[in-house]
Amino acid sequence: SLAMELPPSNFPAARAAAVAVGYLRYLRGGPGRGLELRELRRARRQDIDDVGHKYCLELELEDVLDKGRTVSCTAEVLYHLGSKTSAPDVQISVQGELRSTEEADQEFYNQIRSLEKELVAENIPDSHGNVPPELEPIHLLAWVASGYVIWQNSTENTKFHLAQVKHVKQVKRSDEDLQFDYVLLLHEMVSQEVLPWEVTVLWQPRRGARVSR
Amino acid sequence: MRLLLLLAALVAVATCTETFVGHQVLRVTPQSDEELQKVQELQDLEHLQLDFWLAPRGLGLPVDIRVPFPSLQAVKAHLEASGVSYSIMIEDVQALLDVEQMEMLRSSRRLSLNTDTFNYEAYHTIDEIYSFMDMLVAENPNLVSKLEIGRSTENRPLYVLKFSTGGTNRPAIWIDTGIHSREWVTQASGVWFAKKIVQDHANNEGVASILETMDIFLEIVTNPDGFVFTHTKNRMWRKTRSKNSGSICVGVDPNRNWDAGFGDAGASGNPCTETYHGPYPNSEPEVKSIVDFVKSHGNIKAFVSIHSYSQLLLYPYGYTETPAPDEQELHELSAKAVAALTSLYGTKYKYGSIITTIYRASGSTVDWTYNQGIKYSFTFELRDTGRYGFLLPAKQIVPTAEETWLALKVIMEHARDHPY
Repeated sequence: SLAMELPPSNFPAARAAAVAVGYLRYLRGGPGRGLELRELRRARRQDIDDVGHKYCLELELEDVLDKGRTVSCTAEVLYHLGSKTSAPDVQISVQGELRSTEEADQEFYNQIRSLEKELVAENIPDSHGNVPPELEPIHLLAWVASGYVIWQNSTENTKFHLAQVKHVKQVKRSDEDLQFDYVLLLHEMVSQEVLPWEVTVLWQPRRGARVSR
Repeated sequence: MRLLLLLAALVAVATCTETFVGHQVLRVTPQSDEELQKVQELQDLEHLQLDFWLAPRGLGLPVDIRVPFPSLQAVKAHLEASGVSYSIMIEDVQALLDVEQMEMLRSSRRLSLNTDTFNYEAYHTIDEIYSFMDMLVAENPNLVSKLEIGRSTENRPLYVLKFSTGGTNRPAIWIDTGIHSREWVTQASGVWFAKKIVQDHANNEGVASILETMDIFLEIVTNPDGFVFTHTKNRMWRKTRSKNSGSICVGVDPNRNWDAGFGDAGASGNPCTETYHGPYPNSEPEVKSIVDFVKSHGNIKAFVSIHSYSQLLLYPYGYTETPAPDEQELHELSAKAVAALTSLYGTKYKYGSIITTIYRASGSTVDWTYNQGIKYSFTFELRDTGRYGFLLPAKQIVPTAEETWLALKVIMEHARDHPY
């Protein structure tokens, strides 16, 4: 197998980093935590015969709700050879602690549970980039959902970002979960397409998010 | 105005924080100093909770006031008692679901009578931008002129601002914004650049020295049909609006339509895709008009095409891995330009050739301009890196424009100091 150091400005490294961030958002994101890539510090690529291409990355992330500090991360993204149907394997480890969201999560949970009418919203952000502050947790939960979709659907020839939450509808449940049905618009950088994606997110504090559809 | 408010009301937002039921917007046009004073007095009466959409500025200039329902009687009485005539512009300000939407609407739609009161911190419609251009020319007739270089598919004028202190066919710098219509921070930055050039010249600083020997051409709304479409139908529209024969799909990617590697890998032959290159090079009038302009001008020395998003500074090529002959110089110049950009707010940029930094792209603007002999051909991808993407919050317009301008100045100064 062949291993090489990649300049972080080269696009293959950037695409792998986007997958790693998507995966991490899915695992660790929530209505009170939105992780953003601040910088890709280092990237190495390893071509493994009969397996695929593995990218080893050193990332610097930040929580948009805790902008004063950054968090270092190492990640491995393995794109399987020739596979159009299987998601890249991602392993990621975060150095240090992420800011606790226990209180914010509980507050959000209580707020939504106490709504008389099911929450409905659209166009987050709107055309001018505005997100009403009361919808920011819903917006960050969409990052979790889009993180999952991006991880599951990425290849070495794609780079996805969440362009907009087109529509979100809460579905009241009898169990402990909150359910939100999202229509997300994902922007794919290489083809430049903006693609709608329907995603259902189940979430409760401490358990985190589960994505279906 | 009514339509705008209706549109705002239709934008669905989850929570309701204030309603404007029963509010009216009154218009007063003071014709005398006494009348003006009476209107200005209203500004001090805080308990009336008046909201001046158009503040008092002078005689003969309209003053628009949103008056909450409980204050209507008092305000009308005050005006009538002083013999100040008013008209009711809006009889019942529709309930809006979000005060912030209203604020944004108000600030962006605020009628501006000159480029000093124009709101650079908001996104504008095509009419507002065209009106801005006319005001800028009217205010600076010895520096700025407006050229029409062609018409779009839907017959909208393609306007270029020319900034020149004289001479004949001086070496020139070209800047375009908005070739991809959904990249709204670019048109907004273009408006800011236009004003900045005028200000620098007036204060004899910044680009004033460049204007001594070079002209600057600035096309702010390079894809007007697409831009209107992003306001009226689909905020995510990228391409032109030309009809494609044999297809129901509309539009050609104007950044794949240039005659450089046209149709090669890095563009799509499918009219229903966002990177459709079109039936042949320069099929799009938006592209052809620039090609014709560049060729007939013959003396353009730097060409910068501005996009968003990704925070990148790119140079040719996109259609081939063969390095551009001037790659080393372009790479070093990019490093300097990016350093200048980052120095303002710490915004991080990457730079390199299109094909190594972002993706393979054929038929792109700066590959063609470079092959025409315009050595300093660059593409910018402005803020951000994906958090908001195309939907960049309006409050980032000015910081984005300010930092980008520093990079542009490095490129322009280099072009001036390295004639070829």
